[in-house]
Amino acid sequence: MTRAAVAVAGLVALVAAGCEKPLKPGDPVRGLTAAQRDRFTRGKVVFDSAFTPQTGLGPLFNSTVCGECHEDPAKGGFGDEVEVHAAAFRGGVCDPLVQEGGFVIQQHTIPALKQALGIDSEPFPPSATGRAMRTTPVLFGRGLLDLVPDSVILSYADPDDRNHDGIRGRPNRAVDGRLGRFGRKAFIATLDEFNAGAFVAEMGITDPAQPTEENIGGRPIPAGVDSVPDPEITQEQLDLTNDFVRFLAPPTPARLDATGRRGRELFSQIGCAACHIPTLRTGDSPVAALRHREFAAYTDLLLHDMGPDLADICLGRATPSQFRTEPLIDLRDAQRFLHDGRATTPEQAIEAHGGEAAGARDRFKALPPADRAALTAFLKSL
Amino acid sequence: MRYLPRAAALAAILVTPALTSAPVQPSTYTYRGTVHTVQPRAGSLELITGVGFALRLVQMRAVAATRIEKAGVAIALADLKPGDIVRADCRRTSLGLVADRIIEIDGTAAR
Repeated sequence: MTRAAVAVAGLVALVAAGCEKPLKPGDPVRGLTAAQRDRFTRGKVVFDSAFTPQTGLGPLFNSTVCGECHEDPAKGGFGDEVEVHAAAFRGGVCDPLVQEGGFVIQQHTIPALKQALGIDSEPFPPSATGRAMRTTPVLFGRGLLDLVPDSVILSYADPDDRNHDGIRGRPNRAVDGRLGRFGRKAFIATLDEFNAGAFVAEMGITDPAQPTEENIGGRPIPAGVDSVPDPEITQEQLDLTNDFVRFLAPPTPARLDATGRRGRELFSQIGCAACHIPTLRTGDSPVAALRHREFAAYTDLLLHDMGPDLADICLGRATPSQFRTEPLIDLRDAQRFLHDGRATTPEQAIEAHGGEAAGARDRFKALPPADRAALTAFLKSL
Repeated sequence: MRYLPRAAALAAILVTPALTSAPVQPSTYTYRGTVHTVQPRAGSLELITGVGFALRLVQMRAVAATRIEKAGVAIALADLKPGDIVRADCRRTSLGLVADRIIEIDGTAAR
């Protein structure tokens, strides 16, 4: 091939990349095989299937279908539901209160359980020292986050603040000691486990990965209340759901104008990017479309102390005030911000940051109004 | 009484296939989880295990023959404390789950 031909080919590739249709919320990642796209489509059907008591729902549940909470602006997106978590933090040790029905405290019961125990929701654990409200996160890009190597995440950790920047990223650990990365407290090690656990904890749908029902506030399920044999979905249904979630792409960030570009600069300058690491890269994967992909993540997947005002419950090694850096994905579609949805604008969310983020927050507050607006515009482009 | 041998034979015919065709349950189990409670005197241990947000408690007993170790060194049940991460190799007995071996894992090296 001549040098001119190489140049033309390169130009064509660049133009093609520049002209690629932006990925919208709910789109699959680019480059899936036909078989993988088929699994994405079939997985979406399971994700959007409503369960009833006759098909395994409950006895306790928060929702009847995955797609009811993860729905806005597309399946896999945000939800307006807020759920309740509880835990006890004593002597530096976290107790997720499994013996009292924790840490997810379901807000609904099926009619048979209501009839048997006279309850509309799971009783709040009497031993809890903290209560947490949790909004529904987007699932876009989670398949990519799942594939970021542990070594990359740990490379950002600085629990002893050796670089003296006031930022102390710490890894959380799942119950079995593996590095955690999913959930607001980074308590879950893998996306598949997050999904399998969600079927049970959110809908009371047992699956092959977790084939036992939860107790009712620490008490056994009354006889006759749950007659559907466990597991209540098959491995294939679970696998399809996993593939749907795994293949959900992060939406393409909007093209930045001059204001947005100024905002992006400020995001780094005032220190937001110290925790909200702009890009991460996946490691190896059997799925070529997910393998060695750089993507806009805006997270380090580590825990940071966010100060006493945001503190709620502990989980694993996360103390009540420590939260995982939230990935800033599809922020433009977010209606509420922070783990409990207390903020209705990005500015409110930034101003609520404390602890390790207090410096960045104060620098944001000290910016001239035009710069604050620019930074906000940048965030709304994500 | 004279019908007993015939009844017993009939019962044996009916029951035997059920017993032989019953699924074989594994006799040993390995759990990795976080210590929830330890009661050294009672020789009991409770682990937090589970998948994702769906956590479960597993109760087991440590007996005299149970080997408990940390970094290759034998330790006592009382040396375990809530929050420690362990791997427990157990078997099902008439007393419930009995641990043959419990190894305290350094959580930072667990993956």
